Parts: sequence; structure tokens; C-alpha cells
Amino acid sequence: MTRQPMIDEWYPVGLVSKLSTTGQDTMLMGQPVHVALGNGGEPLVTAQSRRFPVISRFGHVWTSLGEPKKDLFAIPEAYQPGRRFVDVGVVRVRCSPLRAVENFLDIAHFPFVHTDILGAEPHTEVQRYEVEIREREDEVWATKIHFYQPQAAKSAEGGITTEYMYRVPAPTCSILYKTCPPRPGEWDVITLFVQPLGEELCDVWPWMALFDDTTPMVDLIHFQQLIFLQDRSILENQMPRLLPLDPAMEIPTRADMTSVAYRRWLKRHNYTYGAQLVAQ
Amino acid sequence: MDLATLAWKIEGMFPNALCQWVPVALSVDVPAATVSPGWLPGLELALWRSAAGHIAASSNRCPHRGMRLSHGFVRGENLSCIYHGWSFGPDGGCVRIPAHPDMTPPATINSQNKAVLEAGGIVWVCDSNPKSPPPDFHGLVPVRSLTIEASLAALEAAARAVADGKGLLAATIDGVRIHMALAPLAGPQLLAHVLVAADSTCEDRIAASRAAEAFRRMAEAMSPESAAA
Repeated sequence: MTRQPMIDEWYPVGLVSKLSTTGQDTMLMGQPVHVALGNGGEPLVTAQSRRFPVISRFGHVWTSLGEPKKDLFAIPEAYQPGRRFVDVGVVRVRCSPLRAVENFLDIAHFPFVHTDILGAEPHTEVQRYEVEIREREDEVWATKIHFYQPQAAKSAEGGITTEYMYRVPAPTCSILYKTCPPRPGEWDVITLFVQPLGEELCDVWPWMALFDDTTPMVDLIHFQQLIFLQDRSILENQMPRLLPLDPAMEIPTRADMTSVAYRRWLKRHNYTYGAQLVAQ
Repeated sequence: MDLATLAWKIEGMFPNALCQWVPVALSVDVPAATVSPGWLPGLELALWRSAAGHIAASSNRCPHRGMRLSHGFVRGENLSCIYHGWSFGPDGGCVRIPAHPDMTPPATINSQNKAVLEAGGIVWVCDSNPKSPPPDFHGLVPVRSLTIEASLAALEAAARAVADGKGLLAATIDGVRIHMALAPLAGPQLLAHVLVAADSTCEDRIAASRAAEAFRRMAEAMSPESAAA
């Protein structure tokens, strides 16, 4: 069996703000790991005799079971003054980590799954948008996405047409840039960091960097958790649980261009942990 | 034991080896404008009834992104997927993709509907081309359905009776005689439709329902699965 290249990627395993010296047991790609605060105040990720590399960034502790060939991706907006950073917490989902990311990249489900919040009938049409695999960054990008939303964010008052951009810098992470209702010209940043516990089980850690000085933190967290719990009812009922990379298995349309590019990019890199290569 | 009964017990063919019509639900349990899950051996179904009353059995998997169609909704004469609203007609053909309202969906997009018919208050589904009609439970009417977490052998042992070639098990407990039309579910699980004589009173039907519960508890207590748990 060939070495799975996803082993060398960085994954979130906990919130920096929740680290403790006692620590917590969790799982990464089937490997039990312990996440704790070291004596010098540094995060430690260990498993019996092994100690794994660690990065603290974007509110989360990141680690890798392999030998990361590059640094964790950058989010320049995470250092921009005036933003509020929201640790949304964790949602455990019985699905492939890749299915969780693909759902995050999808806008056509808004009117049906996030009804009257992120979408509403009859505003179901997905206009043509642009998708590319940026070779230099080795990232999937979708831009110029426009969609009507009844309540695009906690800070939105009434329906607006929101503009979206999506970025996939790692196989189980995606970053969404969307119209910022209180500050036109800036983008709100909402991320989905997925911890693959196994091929069919994941912990999802949404994180946000928003321009919103008024909404209480608890309301921002509740809003995002509500959205993600609605998604979970979908993710746990897709068959097969693994993401099918065989084009004959599922039927995409033009609205699914981001998903098609994501699947192609996964296949190109042999990022197949959580994927199904041949229809069964 | 006749050949059909033997085939049914050994091969798991329900209820007879020739046509394999499976009693998946009672008609009353799939009201107009609703959808619910159903099972054929090895295949999940979305059973749904249109607003006008037309019954249909689709594969429980939207061809778009694999979402279970039994979580969807019925509007008018179509079943819609809850994920992206793709809508399918009574023949399984996709009639609407909301992300592209002006596009006519290609004829190849289909929810893989199975042969379905209603007889004697039961919804019957067949995965292949039916060669004969489903069995006739003449003189019997359905009361309710229940799931039994036990094998057919355990239920037969509990009932001290054997199922016939129609998949019908007749048994008596405390002087109450009931019939159960059986269908396989995933694993060692059965779906039992409780039937009583057509002239039964309301009290008879309640007693039949309780008798079926008694057989269920006995069969589940006997099953090796429940013994292990």
C-alpha cells in the first residue's frame, strides 16, 4: 500500500483557549493522540512515546502524524486590526472529512437546508461563477459567487445579495470570504477546519474573523452552530459516507463547479483518506 | 415444506421466489404528500405518496449528492430532495433542478423507481420485473406494522409456528390468533405487518396488536444478538 499523502498535512486537534495541563484524548486519522499544555505553557501533542509537531494558529492547535513539507497555510485577515475572532467550538459528524468540506463549498443547498437564513425559495438560482486551481499556491479558488440571502450574518438586517469567495488550501480545510454587512469593501472570514478522526468520522471546528463590534459573542457562536447543525443532518445521511471520486457515482451540474474542482484536486494529489475511488 | 417456502427461508426471498414482491409498509402509514423510508433486501427505499394519492418507491439516494430522499418533501405530484431541492416525478424522472430553474433536466437523471402496488391495505414493492402479482391475503386486513430485532427462526420459535410460502406467519397466544406478513430488514431484523380477520372488532384489533408485541418480546429475548447484549 502506498503512503497516504494526507498524513503529512496539518490538522486541528483542539482550541488553544481550552488547553489544560491534564489535557484531552482525541483521535487523528485513526491514531489516538493526547493534546495538553506543557510546563512551559506550550501545546503538546503526544501518543505514548511519540511527540508530534505542533503549531498554534487561528485559535486552534494543529498537528501532523507525518512530516509536513510546508508550513500551515496563511490567512492574512487573521492579523487584521478591528476583527473579532470567534472560536465556534466543535461539532462531531459521522461522515467523511472530505464530505464535510465539500458541503461547506456548496451554495445551492442554502434555500433548502438553511431556509430563511442563508437562502430562501424562490431565490434558488446559482449564477455562473469562476473556479480555478491556482497552481502557484496549489489551492482551489471559487470567486464571483453571488447569492440572495434573507439573513446572511447575525449582523445582517433583512435580505441582501451576498458575494462569496471560497479557498481550499488543504484537503480538510476551507476558508470562506463573504460580504461584510456593516463594512462594505471588507470581507468577513469564516473557516471550516476539519479534524479527520477516521475516514467516516470527523470533528469540525468552524472559526471566524469578523467585522462586528455589536453582536454578543454567544450570539455569533450560536448562529454558526445552528448553521452547522443543519448541515450535519445532511452529512450524516449521504450515501456512501465516503466521498465518491468516481465521476459515474454522482451527477454534478454547473452549480457544483467548486465541488468538481475540489474532487479533481484531491485526486491529483492522491488525497484519498475519506474518499471512495471506485463505485461499489 | 413447499418449494416456495423453502426458497423464501433459505434464499431470503420475500415472499416468493418468482416475483419477490416485498410488503414494505401499510398503505395508511404513507399518507398523501409524505415520504418515509422503506427497505428491500440490500436496498433502501423512499416510499412516497403524491398529493393526489399516487404511491411511488424510489431508491433512497438522490443521484446528485447521495442524500437520502426519505428526508425530502412531497409537493404536488413530485418528491424533492431536502439537500438541493432536486424534484422527481412518479416515474422517477428528474423534473426540476432549482439551482438552474430555466434548464430542463436531462432524461438520464432518475431516482430509480421500483415497481410498486397496493393490495389489501399493504404497499408491495418489487426490485425486478414482477412476473406474478403479490400474494393475496384473502379475508385478512392490516392492523399495524412493527419492527422485530430478531431472526425469522427466533420469531418462528417464539410463535411455535412456521411462515408459509407467502411470507405469512399465523400464531395464537392467550386465545388471540394473529397473522404476520413478514419482510426482511438489514441484519437480523424483521418488519412484521399484523393482520386480522376482516370482520374483527375494535377490541379484537387491539388484542392482536398486543399479541404481536408479546411475540416480538419473546423472539427478541430468544435471539442470540439480544442474549449477547
